[in-house]
Amino acid sequence: MARDTLAEVSDEALVVLYANGDPEAARLLAQRLLPRILGYAGRLLADRVEAEDIAQEAMLRLWKVAPDWRQGEAKVSTWAYRVVTNLCTDRLRARQRRRTEALDAVAEPEDGAASVVSGMIEADRMAALNAALSGLPDRQREAVVLRHIEGLTNPEIAEIMQIGVEAVESLTARGKRALTAALSGQREALGYEEAE
Amino acid sequence: MMDDLDALFATARSADVQPSDALMARVMADAVAVQPKAVPLVRVAAPETGFWAGLAALFGGGGVLAGLGSVAMAGFFVGFVQPESVMALADGWSLASTVETVDLMPGVDALLTED
Repeated sequence: MARDTLAEVSDEALVVLYANGDPEAARLLAQRLLPRILGYAGRLLADRVEAEDIAQEAMLRLWKVAPDWRQGEAKVSTWAYRVVTNLCTDRLRARQRRRTEALDAVAEPEDGAASVVSGMIEADRMAALNAALSGLPDRQREAVVLRHIEGLTNPEIAEIMQIGVEAVESLTARGKRALTAALSGQREALGYEEAE
Repeated sequence: MMDDLDALFATARSADVQPSDALMARVMADAVAVQPKAVPLVRVAAPETGFWAGLAALFGGGGVLAGLGSVAMAGFFVGFVQPESVMALADGWSLASTVETVDLMPGVDALLTED
């Protein structure tokens, strides 16, 4: 099917088209989903290479499940977020078992590089946010990232994390409080003192 | 500080994470490798029906036609040879009452007689 015809098609219909052998459906699905799940995995793992592995694995699982996809049961994006969440959880557990040095390196924000060039400030802020996110318990980090960065609704997050909506609200609230506490000591590094 | 946090979230949201070309290529290679192949529609030639096959189909199959043929041959044989036992049986049925003439259209004169 022609690309312009597929542009308006839903993700769910694209999965069915892919399963029916449409060569263009896979590319469109990857273009829609890959940036989102890659960003999400990156924030959970704080490691670009590992996030790429997870994103590729999640997409592979989508390709494999496509022939059995039942329309109307779940949104493809919600399904993909759930797969990424589970894969990242496994990866983080393995990482904790190995206690690699990579996690420690990621957990420490690079204070020395702060605000030499104004263009760097935003990158520093993001580094500080990512460092603070890395310090959260896994479930709180997942809920906060899905709610406040990926912009999903609480019911969607509840479906992804397979918990109740109240539990999602509790996790995001606690996560935000913990983030606030972690970041309060870094106001200067974040550049807020300059702005005020 | 919550406002600062919300500002950070907003910045993070706007940060566009683009997959590298290499990652996209790997994902597409996976997609092609496991994609079910479309099954092309193949025209299936209708079986040719000859004279005998058509005739057999007309009577409900070759078996029925064979039975009909056998019975027809048996009837022809009996009629041609006229075996004595069969003829005696036939005479027994037909000789019970000999009908010389059969009036298929009896007249209505009796009803039309005038007084």
